[in-house]
Amino acid sequence: MSDNRFTLVGMRPVDKQSPQNTKWYKGKPIFSIVLFLIIVLGCLFCELFIPQDPTYMDLYNANIAPCKKFWFGTDTMGRDIFSMVWYGGRISLFIGFFATAISTSIAICYGAASGLAPKWLDAIMMRFTEIFLSIPELLLVVLIQAVLGDANVISITFVIGITSWVAVAKVVRTEVLQIRNSEYVIAARCMGAGFFHILNKHLIPNFMSSIMFMVVMNIRTAIVYESTLSFMGIGLSTEIISWGSLLSLSEKSLLSGSWWIILIPGIFLITSLLCITDIGNYLRDRKKDINGIKRLFCRK
Amino acid sequence: MINKNPYLYYSRKILIFILSVFLLSIAVFYVARLAPGDALFSYYGSRVEKMSPKERERAEKKLGLDAPIHIQYIRWLENAAHGNFGISFKYKTDVLEVIKERLPNTLLLGGIGFLFIFILSPMLGILCILHNGKWLDKLICKVGTIISCIPEFWMSLVLILIFAINLKWFPSSGAYFIGREGDIWGRILHLILPMTVVIASHLWYYAYMVRNRLLREIGTGYVLLEKSVGFSKRSIIFKHCLRNVLPSYLSIMAISLPHIMGGTYIVETVFSYPGIGTLSYESARYKDYNLLMVLCIMSGTVVILCNIIAQIIDERIDPRIRESETARIMEVSDV
Repeated sequence: MSDNRFTLVGMRPVDKQSPQNTKWYKGKPIFSIVLFLIIVLGCLFCELFIPQDPTYMDLYNANIAPCKKFWFGTDTMGRDIFSMVWYGGRISLFIGFFATAISTSIAICYGAASGLAPKWLDAIMMRFTEIFLSIPELLLVVLIQAVLGDANVISITFVIGITSWVAVAKVVRTEVLQIRNSEYVIAARCMGAGFFHILNKHLIPNFMSSIMFMVVMNIRTAIVYESTLSFMGIGLSTEIISWGSLLSLSEKSLLSGSWWIILIPGIFLITSLLCITDIGNYLRDRKKDINGIKRLFCRK
Repeated sequence: MINKNPYLYYSRKILIFILSVFLLSIAVFYVARLAPGDALFSYYGSRVEKMSPKERERAEKKLGLDAPIHIQYIRWLENAAHGNFGISFKYKTDVLEVIKERLPNTLLLGGIGFLFIFILSPMLGILCILHNGKWLDKLICKVGTIISCIPEFWMSLVLILIFAINLKWFPSSGAYFIGREGDIWGRILHLILPMTVVIASHLWYYAYMVRNRLLREIGTGYVLLEKSVGFSKRSIIFKHCLRNVLPSYLSIMAISLPHIMGGTYIVETVFSYPGIGTLSYESARYKDYNLLMVLCIMSGTVVILCNIIAQIIDERIDPRIRESETARIMEVSDV
């Protein structure tokens, strides 16, 4: 009999998970990634499988429900929705990614500057973000859009980019506040490193994981934003095909009862949003492992 | 700090509040006026195009648009201090009158929507926690994620398509049947669809947050102790965990109040609901300066006020939180 006197009473055996047993894809959102890749690649290379021009207006075949010839039907101007959806995805995804790139770079610079700045400057910068946030977002977009003139893809990207950086900037600042006094940053500063050097070498690698989720979610928000703006008539005009401008036609189609003009582009839009959300959720869960906590309440 | 000197603490907060509103008004005033576009157009309509330069000058003088911007601002501030916010260029009556007409509609839509979200999201979160890891939790999580992904305008359109056009259960636009403004039943009928969109698009965000916070609370040491003592799951969650989660939930809901109430633009536009949302959208688009100013300051004030309330709640719960660190950080990094 072995000596039991010094083992802890009531200690639960820790289930060991050997890394070899878990498959590489376990817990990863493979389905969403594949689906999203299909959508992205399909939009990028849509010329290859869609021979007809999406802007071609076939007035004889206007407003036709989905059938063999027009898989997704045609809109009120006789354009084929199947090809429009793929072509439109290009612009919507472009706006999503680039607007996020703009907002993220602003957020990182602003947040890091605010975190590294002396206390009084930091306070002023944070006040500024609060005032910025207190202007209703839509009004801000309308006003900035008016300054930029007529809406096109670049200006919409820019407007969405410069209005959606605040939340990320705040997180960056909190993270930077924690890192700024660590030895390696002080050492780098003593050696005369500039702002951008510290940012690149020391700060970004440290806080990237905590803003990654929000950045991915910003892609989603930007795509939604573009479609909402186009729908309300302050975004892209109906000649530039995007998911938003496609959907902006749908208010008219309510009257004629052509459901496919509303549903099909919307389902495309939502599917890609869902994929992005799923990927984003995975990135967040990997950061804070809630699974360990979950186990407590699961009776096995 | 709050315990050391409450007077100093609150007067500081009030000072910050006033300063923020003041800066906000300057920002909105400048941005609105710098944007190109003819403000006269919203007052005179298409007559503007036929005006001679002299008439234009006179018209600009009449509306007070001829002076440099900073003088216009000082003039506006003086008038505002006397309670005179100017006239709306489009409606040609006092700005406050125009707002007074529309405000109750938005308060009704946003307020009741907020109440529903406020009550339903903890309930949904707790439901998820009680069934944690089982099919119900997974189902709610999946459905919630899908619904929260749907853009508001699209959801509105689909609801109109299904319930207003195909089934003809609810009217598709407006806030009341024409000519029957006092009809309460009519109002309710008009509210149901927009309200559904407002609630559905926000609910999961907060419910999920409650769920995650409770989940984290369950992982702490005292819950393990209580479990080992033999408390039931329900009593641990309702009596202990919930109590710890509640204050931060309140502070987040304080921030979300203006967000939900003011975020009804899109819904109002799609349903042509006569509320503040459509009004401010119009005023920004057609350069109705005076109206825009008041609307922006109004919503901005509510946002800033709610932020300060959330801050106070947070600092009461956890005095270690530094003042400038708003609850918004917790909100975004958490969900």
